[in-house]
Amino acid sequence: MLPANALPAYVTTPGGFLLVLAIILPVVAVLAMLVLDPRHARSVVGATILAGVAAALAIAEELIRTGAALIYVVGGWQPPLGLALRADGLSATMIAMTAIVLPGIAIFARGLQDLKPETRNGRAPTTFWSLLMGVWSALCLTFIGQDLFNLYVALELLTFAAVPLVCLDGRSETMGAALRYLMFALLGSMLYLLGTGLFYGAFGTLDIRSLSAMSDDRPAVSVALALMIAGLLAKAALFPLHLWLPPAHAGAPAAASAVLSALVIKAPIFLTLRLVAEVAPTPMAAIAGKILAILGAFAIILCSVMALRQARLKLMIAYSTVAQIGYLFIVFPLATGADALPPWGTIAWTGGALQLGSHALAKASMFMAAGIIAEAFGHDNIRDLSGFGRILPLSAATFGLAGLSLMGLPPSGGFIAKCLLLTSAVLGGHPWLSTTILAGGLLAAGYVFRVMNRALATPQTPLIIRRKIPARLEVVPLILALLAVLLGFVPLEPLGLLQIGRPDRPAETMP
Amino acid sequence: MSAEGLLLFAAVLLPLGMAISCLSRTIRARAPSLLVFAPVPAMLAAWLVPNGVSVFFPAPLRMTLALDRPGAILLGGAALLWSAAGAFAATTMAGRPGTPGFAVWWLLTLTGSLGVFIVADIASFYLVFTLVSLAAYGLIVHEQTAAALRAGLVYVVLALLGEAFLLLAFVMLAAGAPDPNPLIRDAMAALPASPMRDGILALVILGFALKMGLVPLHVWLPLAHPAAPMPASAVLSGVVVKAGVIGLIRFLPFETALPAWGAMLTTVGLFTAYYGVIVGITQQRLKTILAYSTVSQMGLVATILGVGLAHGDPAAPVLAAYYGVHHTLIKGGLFLAVGVGLVTRGSHLRPILLLTGLLALSLAGLPLTSGALAKIAAKQMLGSGIATIAMTLAAAGSTALMLHFLAALKRETAANAETPETPGQVAPLLVVAAASIIIPWSLYPGLPGMNLSSAVEIGALWTLVWPMVLGGIAFMMLRRLNGLRGALPEGDILVLAEKCAPLVGRVAGTFAKVDSLTRHWPVAGVLLVCIAMLLGGALLSRP
Amino acid sequence: MIASALSSANLFGLCGASLAGFGLFIVIIHASLLRRIVGFNLLGAGIFLVFGAIARRGAAAGFDGDPVPQAMVITGIVVAFSATALSVALLLRLFGLTGRAAFDAPPADASRQDET
Repeated sequence: MLPANALPAYVTTPGGFLLVLAIILPVVAVLAMLVLDPRHARSVVGATILAGVAAALAIAEELIRTGAALIYVVGGWQPPLGLALRADGLSATMIAMTAIVLPGIAIFARGLQDLKPETRNGRAPTTFWSLLMGVWSALCLTFIGQDLFNLYVALELLTFAAVPLVCLDGRSETMGAALRYLMFALLGSMLYLLGTGLFYGAFGTLDIRSLSAMSDDRPAVSVALALMIAGLLAKAALFPLHLWLPPAHAGAPAAASAVLSALVIKAPIFLTLRLVAEVAPTPMAAIAGKILAILGAFAIILCSVMALRQARLKLMIAYSTVAQIGYLFIVFPLATGADALPPWGTIAWTGGALQLGSHALAKASMFMAAGIIAEAFGHDNIRDLSGFGRILPLSAATFGLAGLSLMGLPPSGGFIAKCLLLTSAVLGGHPWLSTTILAGGLLAAGYVFRVMNRALATPQTPLIIRRKIPARLEVVPLILALLAVLLGFVPLEPLGLLQIGRPDRPAETMP
Repeated sequence: MSAEGLLLFAAVLLPLGMAISCLSRTIRARAPSLLVFAPVPAMLAAWLVPNGVSVFFPAPLRMTLALDRPGAILLGGAALLWSAAGAFAATTMAGRPGTPGFAVWWLLTLTGSLGVFIVADIASFYLVFTLVSLAAYGLIVHEQTAAALRAGLVYVVLALLGEAFLLLAFVMLAAGAPDPNPLIRDAMAALPASPMRDGILALVILGFALKMGLVPLHVWLPLAHPAAPMPASAVLSGVVVKAGVIGLIRFLPFETALPAWGAMLTTVGLFTAYYGVIVGITQQRLKTILAYSTVSQMGLVATILGVGLAHGDPAAPVLAAYYGVHHTLIKGGLFLAVGVGLVTRGSHLRPILLLTGLLALSLAGLPLTSGALAKIAAKQMLGSGIATIAMTLAAAGSTALMLHFLAALKRETAANAETPETPGQVAPLLVVAAASIIIPWSLYPGLPGMNLSSAVEIGALWTLVWPMVLGGIAFMMLRRLNGLRGALPEGDILVLAEKCAPLVGRVAGTFAKVDSLTRHWPVAGVLLVCIAMLLGGALLSRP
Repeated sequence: MIASALSSANLFGLCGASLAGFGLFIVIIHASLLRRIVGFNLLGAGIFLVFGAIARRGAAAGFDGDPVPQAMVITGIVVAFSATALSVALLLRLFGLTGRAAFDAPPADASRQDET
C-alpha cells in the first residue's frame, strides 16, 4: 500500500472560502426561514440567491484568473482524517450552471405562487423555498466534495431535499411517486456506502486525489467501483433503473420538476464521471465506460420511443429526461480509457459538459412551459392542446427553442454537443454510438414535433382557458430556452475552463 | 467589410430580420405585403457581386459567405421567383386569418433557401439547410387539411432523416480537417484522399437525393408540393428542391473522376427522370402532375452531375446550376399560371392558357426557350454516350407529361367561376415568364464552351424537335387508355411503406412492454443487483 | 485454522454481509412498504457492521482501532435514521390518503398509451 502522504498536502487557496460560502449560504437561508415568519421567506430567498450567484461567479472568476483549482481544507485537517473541498474547471462549470438555472426556476416559482394570492405567504411556499435551498447547498457540496464519504452525505442531503419536492401538492399519486423515488435512491445509496467502505478498507483514505494516485487493479477496487457506480446509476435513473423517474418528475409541481430534471439528476452523473475518470485505473475505466455506454444507448432509443408514446406532456418530458441522461453516459467510452490523450483533453469531454449544460437549460424551460400550459388549461393531455400556440405564444416558442436543443438541431448548445460527440464517435471508430446519437436525435425530433404540431394546429373547438397567464411568467422559461440555444455560439470558450485544475496527463498523477 | 460582403450578408439577414420582427403583432399583420421585397438583396447580389467574392464573419457567427458561378446562377433565379411568388401570395392570400403566420414561415424558408447558395463553411451550410427544410413544413401544412397534415408528416420525417445523414457526413468531413468548421472548398479538396471517402459520398448523396426527390426517396415530394397554397407550391417546387442540387454541387468532388459513384448517380437520375414521367401521366390533379414533373426534371439534373462526377468534369456544376435555374423559373411560372388560370374566364383565359402552354413545352425543350438552351448545353457536356440518348428520349417523356398537364388544365378551367383575376396575380406570372427567357439567354454565352450560335444550329434544333414529336404521338396514344387515370396513388411507393406502419407499432409496443416490465419494483431491484454484479465481474475479469 | 479465520473482525464482516444480503432480499422482494423500510434498516446495519470490521482491520495496520470508519458509522446512522423518518412520514401520508401501504404495480398513468 502506498502511503497517502506521498502527495503534496492540500493547501487552502486564497479563494477557498468561496467554496464554503457556496455551501453555507443556502443552509443559512433554510435556518432563517425556520426562525422567521413565512412572510419573510421570499426576501430571504431573494437575498440568498443574489449572494449565491455572486459566490458562483466569484468562484468561476477566481478559477479563470488563477488558472488553478480552488481548495479549502476544512478545519485545517489533512485527509484522511480531515476533509478537503476542491473546485476544478468542471466543478465551477456545474456550480455556474446551477447558479443560472436555479434562480430562473425560483423567479418562475415566485410568479406561479403569485397566481394564487391567498396561499402566497403560507406554509407550502415556505416549504418549497426551504427545499430549494437545501437542494442548492447539496448540489454545491456534490460538485466540490473531495471525500467519497462526504459525497455520500451530500447525495443523501440532495435526496432528502428532492423527495419532498415531488409530493408538495400532497396528492396520493405524487406521495407514492415520492416514496418510490426515496426508496430506490436509498437502495442506490446503500450500494454506494458499501463501496466506500471497501475503498477505505483497501487504502485507508477516501480522498479522491489520493485514491486516484493509489488505485490499482486489486479485486477490492473492482468490487468497490462496481458497487458505487451501480448505486449512482440507480440515483441517476439510467435505463433500466429508471422506474422512479417518470412518475416523480411528471407528478411534481412545475418548478419542482424543473429543479429535479435539470439539476438534481446531474449530481449522481457528475459523481459517476469522477469515479470513472479519476478514481478508476485507465483499463478499468475503459471497461466500465463501455458498459455504461451500452446502457446509455438503450436509454436513448427505448426511452425516446416511450416519450413519443406518452399521452401527457409532463410524462413525455420526463421520459425525454431519461433518454437524454443516456447521452451523458455514452460520453464515457468516448472520453475515457485512452492512453494517448487524457479524458479531459478530448472533444467528447467538452461535448459531454455542453450536453449537460444545454440539457439543464432546455429541460428546465420545457418543464416550466409545461407547467404554464397545465396551469392555463387545467390539463396537459397533448392531444387536447390543439392551438395552444395562439393562446400562449411565448410558451410555445419556449418549447420550440428548448426542443431545438434537445433534438440537436442548429443553432443550439445541444447541436454543438451532438456534433462533438458524433465527431469523437467517428474518430474513435464507434459506428454504433454515432448511429445511436443520430437515431436519438430523430426520435427527439419526433416528440418535440408532436407537441409543436399541436401548438401550431387550428383547433376544432377552441381551447378553454382556465386561468390567465401573465406574460412575465412566460418570459423566464423563454430566457432559459434562449440561453440553451445561445450555448451553441460559445462552444470554444468553456473548453479552457473545463481543463483548469486537471493534470495534463494521467501519468503525472501516478507516482 | 466590402460592399459586396455587406450585400451578401443582407441577402440572408433581411429576410431573417423580417421574420424576427414579426414577433411584433403590428409588423406581422403587414408582413404579407412586404414579402416581395425580402429577396431583393439576394437578387442584387446575384447580379452585382462578382463571382469569387468571399467574406468571413468572425465569432460568434463564424460564418463564411461566398458567391461562385453555380451559386450565383441559382441565387438569381431563386430570388426572382421568391419575389414574384411573394407578390402573388400577398394578393391571393390577403386578409385571411392565417396569412401573417404563413408569412413568417415563408420568410424563414426564404432565408434558408437563399442561404444555401451563398454559405461557404460546413456548419453554416448545415444551419441554413436545416432552416429551409424545417421551415418548409410550415408552408406545407398551412391549409391544415388532412391531406396537408399527412404530407407534412411524411415530409418532416424524411427531411429529418436526410438531416441525420448529412450531419454524419459533415462530421466525417470535418473530422479529417484541422479546422473544426472548415470551408466546404477545403474539405472537398481533402475528400478524395480521405479514408472515409466512400462513406461520406454515400451519405451526401442520400441526404441531398432526399431533398431533390430522387427515386425512391421522392415519396414526400408529390404529396408535399401540392398540399401547400399555390405560391408556396411554386417556391417549393421551383426553389426549395434546389437546396439538394446545390448540396450535390458543393459536396461532390468534381475535380476528381469517380466513375463508380458517377455511374450510380447517373443511373439513379435517369431512372428518376423516366419514373417521374410515367407516374405523373397517371395523375389527375394539376399540382400533382407538376410535382411529378419536378421529380423527373431533378432526375435529369442528377444525371448531369453524375456524368460530371464520373469524368471529373469541373463544368458539371455550372451546367447543373444552369439547368436548375431554367427549371426554377419554368416550374415556378407554371404553378403561378395554374393559380391564375383557375380563376380566369372568358376572353382572358386563352392568352393565359397559351402562355402556360409555352412554359410547359419549354420544360420539354421547345426550341429557343430556356429548356432548349439547357438541354443543348447539357448534351454538349454529356458527349455522345448512352446518357445523351437517354436524356434526349426523356424529352419525349416530358412532352407527353406536359401535354397531359395542359389537357388537364384545359378541362379544369372550362368551368371557371365568376371571380375575375387581378393584376396582382398576372403581373408576377408575366415577370417570371419573361425572366425565364431573359435570364437563360443572357447566361448562355457565359457557359463553358458555349456561344450563341450553337443555340440556333439546325442540327441541335432537330435533336430537340423529334423527341417532342415522339412525345406528342405517345400522348395521343396514351389518351385512349382510360385505365391509366388515377392508376397510381399520389406518392406511389409510399403506400407500400405505409403498409409497414403496424410493424413499427409492434416494435414500439415491445419497447413499451420492456419499459413497463423494468418499472416493476422487484424487477428493477434485481436489475440493480445484476448491473452491480456485471460491472464487478467485468472489472475483475479484466485481462 | 478455523478459529483464526473467525477472528472477531472477520466474524463482524461475515455477519455484516449476511445481514446486508438479508436486508437487500427483503427490500427487493417484499411489496409491503413498512417491511421494506425495515429491510433498509437491516441493509444499513449490515453495512455498518462491515465498516466496523474495516475499522478493526485498520487496527491491525498499527492503529488501535481506526476512528475514521467509526465516525462514518455514526454519521451513517444519523443519515439512515433521517431516511427512515422521512419514509415513514411519507408512508403514513400515503396510507392516510389511500389506505394502502404498498405499490406493487407501476402507476397507471405512466404506462398509458395513446394515439399513433
